[in-house]
Amino acid sequence: MLQVRDVVKRFEGRAAVDRVSFEVPHGEIFALLGPNGAGKTTLIRMITDILRPDEGEILWEGRPSRESVRQSVAYLPEERGLYRRAKVADIVAFHGELKGMTSREARASARALLDRVELSEWAERQVQALSKGMQQKVQLCTAMIGSPRLLILDEPFSGLDPVNVRLLESILQDMRDAGATVLLSTHQMNKVEELCDRALMMHRGHVVLYGPVAELRRRHADHAIVIRTPSAIPAVPGVTRVESRNGDHTLVLDRDATPQAVLRALVERGVEIESFSRASLSLEDLFVKVVRDGFDGAQPGALAGPEPASSGVPA
Amino acid sequence: MTWSRRRIATVARRDFLYTVRRRAFLFTLVGTPLLYALLMFIVIKPQQAERAGALRNFTALGVVDSSGLFARGAPDVWTDILPENPFAMGNAAPAAAQRFRTRVRRYPDFASAEAALRDSEVTQVLVVPPDYAGTGTLRRYARTNNLFTAGDQRVVSKWIVRTLLAGLPDSSRIDRVTQPLRQESLYALGHDGRFELKNEAREMLDFLLPFALGLLLGLSIVFGGQYLLQGVSEEKESRILESMMCAVSPEELLAGKLIGLGGAGLSLVVGWLAIAGVTAAPMLAMLHFTLPPWIVAIMLLYFLLGYVFYGSLMTGIGAIASNMREAQQFSVWFTFLTFIPFYMMSTLVGHPGSALAVALSMFPPTAPVASMLRLVAPGAAVPAWQIALSLLTLAAAAVGILLVSARLFRVGMLMYGKTPTLPEIVRWLRTS
Repeated sequence: MLQVRDVVKRFEGRAAVDRVSFEVPHGEIFALLGPNGAGKTTLIRMITDILRPDEGEILWEGRPSRESVRQSVAYLPEERGLYRRAKVADIVAFHGELKGMTSREARASARALLDRVELSEWAERQVQALSKGMQQKVQLCTAMIGSPRLLILDEPFSGLDPVNVRLLESILQDMRDAGATVLLSTHQMNKVEELCDRALMMHRGHVVLYGPVAELRRRHADHAIVIRTPSAIPAVPGVTRVESRNGDHTLVLDRDATPQAVLRALVERGVEIESFSRASLSLEDLFVKVVRDGFDGAQPGALAGPEPASSGVPA
Repeated sequence: MTWSRRRIATVARRDFLYTVRRRAFLFTLVGTPLLYALLMFIVIKPQQAERAGALRNFTALGVVDSSGLFARGAPDVWTDILPENPFAMGNAAPAAAQRFRTRVRRYPDFASAEAALRDSEVTQVLVVPPDYAGTGTLRRYARTNNLFTAGDQRVVSKWIVRTLLAGLPDSSRIDRVTQPLRQESLYALGHDGRFELKNEAREMLDFLLPFALGLLLGLSIVFGGQYLLQGVSEEKESRILESMMCAVSPEELLAGKLIGLGGAGLSLVVGWLAIAGVTAAPMLAMLHFTLPPWIVAIMLLYFLLGYVFYGSLMTGIGAIASNMREAQQFSVWFTFLTFIPFYMMSTLVGHPGSALAVALSMFPPTAPVASMLRLVAPGAAVPAWQIALSLLTLAAAAVGILLVSARLFRVGMLMYGKTPTLPEIVRWLRTS
């Protein structure tokens, strides 16, 4: 389990990360979200022991993340690069050796990983001969070699075509199923909704959202229902506003109105209901709301949710 | 700070192999000695041709003698030159001398001599004033002035000496006065405390050896350091390090790089020494020359310390510069410092005990090359305490620069796109 406790990191007196706490159990894909400059990269660099926190502590498997990080944590940074003239298999194997594998093990593992990302026929070519997307996959292999228990990926989908995006999704899900912890930092909110169990959003160094993705979306949505119907929406008690788009109607409710009462009233008025659901906010909308509406450092953690279940099972 | 020998060795091996397998490395290893051999050939051959050409073209000397001292001068001058071959081995047969004849024509006044010079009847005109015996003043006129050879001066000098001594009964004495040291054998104390013959070949060796060993040392330090600069700049520019720093600490990475790329620099020295040994062995054997092992050991020490000093400096520069081009612009000044002793070579080799020579061997950037020049200078006896102090100063500076560079490396490798200002660098050093 990764445990981040009250971590603070200051640069020139300004807190880039301010009292951030969260936990990520094994077998979970966890999203680290936030606008540019929120402090995500600084936080990741502290988790990977590239930077040291000024206050607080970071524990991996219950121990401070120093030497333990080197063997079991892998990091794919947003700012990526490879030795341009090195051979693809050599560079992946080199990262394996850095993580403690023997030369023979590293080469065998590099071959298997390149095969997994459909690059085996490029193994003996120089990196500079590869396209950007292919280099991205090689970089992913350098992070994945050695079977890391914690894999931290910063914008891993950038530069990948839809086929390779699906390939990466499948790899991440396999890693989660194998019990690894995946920490994903991305601006692609649809990928977070599809892949991640829980999320933490930072803004100006503070935690502003933290919890299961579905719960966050529901909790911060308006008090509203979404119905699909071919009929016109009549005036119904308890509904303050109706927004219609492509046959879907979002009915914003009074504070005292219940979805069941509004649904009953619509049926009684002869509205033919094709589908009905509680409204939830997309993560993208939630992200914009957080950044625009100023869930800022004035109330750090104001929107943060509950701690994860101690059993390690995502809530 | 974490240290894992295995991770350091992995980084060192990768950097070493990555460097020595590059075509540029092979080109440097083989191409540099070839280039120097070619340069020597290109420089010496035309010099020789120039000297012979000047004598060949000097067909006639016009003389206007107002002193009366040269009335009985010989009607022509013969000048001999021996061809030089810097690559000749010990058993090569000596080449035959070339002889050149210059006729002497007399003119009653300067006007007629000048007309003859302008019409190319004579190559030069020598005007001897009436008071020559008392003052030694002469005037010489030529159609052109050759900056690169004094062959023509030799012709005139020889004719004047022979004419002035023409009254002596013993002609061999005239020959001796003309070239008093032609058959001289000079013996000087060697490094082993024995007098050794200093002939022309040996004198050339005495000059070339400090030059070659100093250059070898300087180049290997600079090449090793430049590999570091290139490696660090490339890795910073291509953003490779951040993903690696998760698996290896900055200190391990720096140590691995210093060892791996220092090994590449050392491979160059070994390669060049091997090439020099094979090509120059016959000449060195003929001259009964051996390099004392203690000099080789000290040279190795200077290489190691000089490399750590210069390599650390290059690492620091690579870590703060935002790209390779900028890094090279900074590094050129320190490279220049390394080779400064060559600009003062005559002092260092001619007077290895002078204050300047001692000072340069105590100043860390110039210490390796300056000390090497002093140590192998002919007849040099550099006090042991000076060598020890020079090595200690260099070692202290190397460790200091290494510590500073390690701090810059830790912070600088994650800073992209902008070269820091001096206050920012100071802040990095304080906070890292």
